[in-house]
Order: sequence, then structure tokens, then C-alpha cells
Amino acid sequence: MNIIVCVKRVPKTAEADLFIEKDGKDIKKDHLVFALNDWDSYAVREAVLIKERYGGEVMAITVGPEDSKEVLTRCLAMGADRALRIEEPPCFDALLIAKILARVIQGQPFDLILTGVQTEDDGWGQVGVSLAQLLGIPHASIVNRIEIENGKARVKRELEGGLEELLEVRLPALFTIQTGINEPKYVSLAAILEAEEKEMKEVGLEELGWTSMESLYATLDQVSFPPAGKMAEILKGSPEEIVNQLTEIIKKKKG
Amino acid sequence: MKIDPKTFVKDYNLLVCIQCGTCTGGCPVKFRSPLNMRRLVRQTHFASDPSLFKKPEWWACTTCSTCSLRCPAGVKNVELILGVRNYLANQGEVPSTIREALENTLLHGNPWGRFRDRRIDWAKDLDIKILGEETAEILFFVGCAPSYDPRVQNISISLVKIFSMAGLDFGILGKKESCCGNEIRRMGEQALFRKLLRDNTNLIKKIGVKRIITISPHCYNAFKNEYPELTIPVYHYTQVLVDLIETGKIEMRNGSETPVTYQDPCFLGKQNGVFEEPRKILSSLPGVTFTEMERSRERSLCCEGGGGRMWTEGFTEGIRNAEIRVREANRLGAKVLATSCPFCLLTLEDAVKTSGLSDQIVVKDIAELVADSL
Repeated sequence: MNIIVCVKRVPKTAEADLFIEKDGKDIKKDHLVFALNDWDSYAVREAVLIKERYGGEVMAITVGPEDSKEVLTRCLAMGADRALRIEEPPCFDALLIAKILARVIQGQPFDLILTGVQTEDDGWGQVGVSLAQLLGIPHASIVNRIEIENGKARVKRELEGGLEELLEVRLPALFTIQTGINEPKYVSLAAILEAEEKEMKEVGLEELGWTSMESLYATLDQVSFPPAGKMAEILKGSPEEIVNQLTEIIKKKKG
Repeated sequence: MKIDPKTFVKDYNLLVCIQCGTCTGGCPVKFRSPLNMRRLVRQTHFASDPSLFKKPEWWACTTCSTCSLRCPAGVKNVELILGVRNYLANQGEVPSTIREALENTLLHGNPWGRFRDRRIDWAKDLDIKILGEETAEILFFVGCAPSYDPRVQNISISLVKIFSMAGLDFGILGKKESCCGNEIRRMGEQALFRKLLRDNTNLIKKIGVKRIITISPHCYNAFKNEYPELTIPVYHYTQVLVDLIETGKIEMRNGSETPVTYQDPCFLGKQNGVFEEPRKILSSLPGVTFTEMERSRERSLCCEGGGGRMWTEGFTEGIRNAEIRVREANRLGAKVLATSCPFCLLTLEDAVKTSGLSDQIVVKDIAELVADSL
């Protein structure tokens, strides 16, 4: 069972002060910390679990800047056997990323491709399914369980309202992985340092025969903060004063 | 960097164990978990099966070190626990809440996963030097809980007030401050501890201070005993406050008649022998009558906040030690249960709430009591 996992390095923004770049097309990232996209982390763990049961090899791929190597090292520490970084294109578009990945993957033997459902930063949720289409293989999205049997995969998809859909998909196939599919394992710093010895290759876009960018399906026009809502009221004062104000409001609303 | 459990017998001096049971007798969680140090030492001695290390009780230990300190033979019990946890961490087999604490520390420099940019929010309205940008004689090492925890931040603010009043020339590391690693090592991540040790040592050496003052006894312990290349003298803040009081640099004027007792933090008291200073401060507070609890000093009962237990759920059952402690203080007639450790403060304050004693006793850090009396 040869498995390819596509991953991305993303900034952690939950508690950060966010600022927009001068050109208005991105947020400033120089003060942010980056990590492996959460969904991808489950995908890598799932690939390693499948490898442990059925044998084979796990390869992690990312399209991203030089710094993305740190998330690939993490994938190697998690149990991936080798890793590949593809140079990032000057602009990001889900379909373009899928096309770049497809070109690299076409030359590789594989039975299974796993990606995260979406990324924490852009959240398009399109790269996985577009990649399956370009490679001409079946896919299932939002997968929270995989069982492999006789060249087929029985997968569960997590649908809204607590529903689950059970599918039988012939391999090779691509699944986009939902968080919670497995129990994450701690990746120790010792394992990360050891993983630096594993195989990591890098490839440029020109080497892949990409001389000029094709026309993009989507271009980023502008990022902006959502306008402040009018419904929220921020209470000010000491904790005691705030509690008193809040009690008054609740009493009033209760009528 | 593979760990071979076969070396544990030699590494942790297990051969000298005489099976007297002193370790188990003094263990503060022996009634709350299956943790039985005497048995674990014996089993590790004979272990050929690593499944021994899968027992959940390895995570119940608070690393208070009562067992090691009392062992008449010199068995390194707590180091054995840390060795086993390190073996497990390297295999990725740690409880999920500890996994998060460790991952957070690697990413954000603190176990709670709070952002580095938020580390000095507590000091926003205070005029404090940031070392690296400015110079000072003393590094005030704030630590993670006092930087981020809204309750514990009051200790940091109180100490800034006291230090400023006493005219100390101090500064903080600001956003560059990272976890000291004391708890990280105790959660089993020795490689991450070594990284923090290296980074912190380099950073502190570079800013060129003459003294370090810590809030947490855990940071104090790490810098004093586990940072071999950090030769700058380290003080717990209680040691500094005693000096400021005795030399008249601060004058404590305000206070009302209050019966006070004191919880010795394990990493300050039994592990580092700082018993007198907190008591001297409490006794010199205006209006305070200081009374000892029955189990005090070396015999003090661990609050269960150490050894990574702040980030662990489960592995123990029944009444928490902190609750036993709060009831003990209440029976003694104390209106204030004082301590000098952020973890003790948090565990004891929780216990006051869970035991329904909020209207009878409060938990205060010594720094808060001193600041309030100025």
C-alpha cells in the first residue's frame, strides 16, 4: 500500500493580532508561528496507521516555501518514509495547486492519496477533490473512517446532522480526511531531530516543466476584516461592575 | 537517541533499594491512585517486559520528591518516573492533555498554548524595562502561569509594585521569555527541556544581568539545579522580600488582625530548603498571627500541581490533597491560607471553591499580602 499525503504549513492565528499587508492581498505573517495544518496532521497519522496494518510506504508532499520543510520533517517524524517539497507558485489558486500536485504524482506509484478536508488558513477545501479529478481517480471527502480490503476501501463520510455515509471505493483513490478520524500521537522533539536524517527532496516548478503560469481560475482581489457588527455591546468596568451591568441586562431581557 | 529501559536499574540506582517502603509511606498520592513506588522500583528492577511502563500510575506522580528525599538508600525514585515518562514520550505515548502541553511549548514557548504576543499583556499599564532593549541589574523571570493566568498575573503585578517601591533595578524578558522547562522535563520531554535550557541560557547570558528573581518555585528549581551553565545567582522572590523588609527598603504599614497559615510549595520547601523566608515575611506582616499547620516544612502535603499534573486529567480519584489542605487550614482557624507558588495558589483556590469554604478562608500569595500592606 503506497500512500501519498498532501500537506500544508499554515500560520496559527487564533490569538494573534492580525494586520493586513499594504497591498491588501494578504495578512502580515512575519510575527506569526506556523505549524502543520490540523486536518493534514490527521491525514498523515491515518496514512501511517494504514501502513502499519498493510505495509508499504508513506510519502508526504507539500507545495510551499523553503520554510515548509519544517512541516515535512514533522511528517517524517510521524512515520512518513520520505518527503518532497515543491516550489510554490507566485500566486495561490486551489486548482493550480492541484495541477502542480497532479503533475508530480503522475510519475509516482500509489494506491491511496490522503489530504486534509481543508486548510486552517484559506479553507477552500478544493485541492483534494480537484486533484482526484485531474488524476482520474475516485474520491470521497470528509472521511472519518477507512478500512482496506481486496483492493477496495470502505470509507465513512461525516455528513451534517450526525449522519454517516458508508461508501465502497476502488483503489487507487483519494480521500480528504476529517479531524477525529484517529487519536493523534505525540511527536517528540527527539523524533523530529531523528527525522531530519530521512529522505527529503525538493523540486522547482521549472524542473516540472512549468515555464509560465497558466491563467488562474481565481485570483485574490482583497482581504479585509469583516465590518464590526452593531448588535454587540462591550461592557466596561471592573469585574464587579461588569457583573452588575450584565445581571441588569439579563433581568431586563427576561422581562 | 533510543532509550533502553534495561539501563534504568543502573541509571536510577535501583539496586540499592532495600524495599523498606519509606517511599510509598510518604507519597502524597498513594491514597488517590494505584501509584506504589516501592512496587514500581521492584518491578522495574525485574522488568523484561516494557508493558510495565504502560501502567497509568506513572502519570499520577506529582514529582514532589518526598520519596527520593526520604529514601535511606539513595534510590532516585523521581528520576525513575521521569526516565519512564521520557521513554514513553519518545514513543509518542503520553496522555492527550500532556501531548497538547508539550506541543504548545514547542510552538508557543508555554504549555497553555497562549500566543507569545500576549505574554506581557499583564504588564501593559506598568512601566517595566524590557531586557535586551534596555539593561538592568536584575532579571525578573516571570514564568508562564504568572504571565498568562488571570489569577496568577496578580502576583506579577504585586511584585512589580514592591520591587519598584524598593528601588530595585530590574527588567523582564518580555515576549522573548519562554518556559523554563521544569515541568516539561517532568512530563518526560527531556529533548524539549534541553532545547529550552540551551535557548534560555543563551538569552539570559546575552542580556548580562547580575541576579535572577523568579516567581515560581518551579522556575527557581530549574535555574538553580538543572541549568548547569547558568552561573548567575538565582533567587526565589521570598528570599528577596525578606532582605527588602530587613533592610527597611520596604515598609509594611497596613493590615488588620488576620490569622494566617502557610502551604510550603514542594519545589521551594522540601526540594530547595527555603522554609524560613516565607515564615519571616508572614510574621512581620502588620496584624498577622501566623500559625503552622500540623504537616509543615519537610512534611508539607503536596498540592498536586507539580510534575505536569497541571496538564493532566485523571489517574487519581477521591478527595484532592488541596481540599484536605484547605480544610486543615480552616480547622486551624486561619482566614488566609498563604503560599508562594502559582500552582499551589491555583489548586488551593479551586479547593476552597469545591469545599464550599469561600466565605471562611481565602488563598493568597505572599507577594499579594506584602503588596497590599504597603
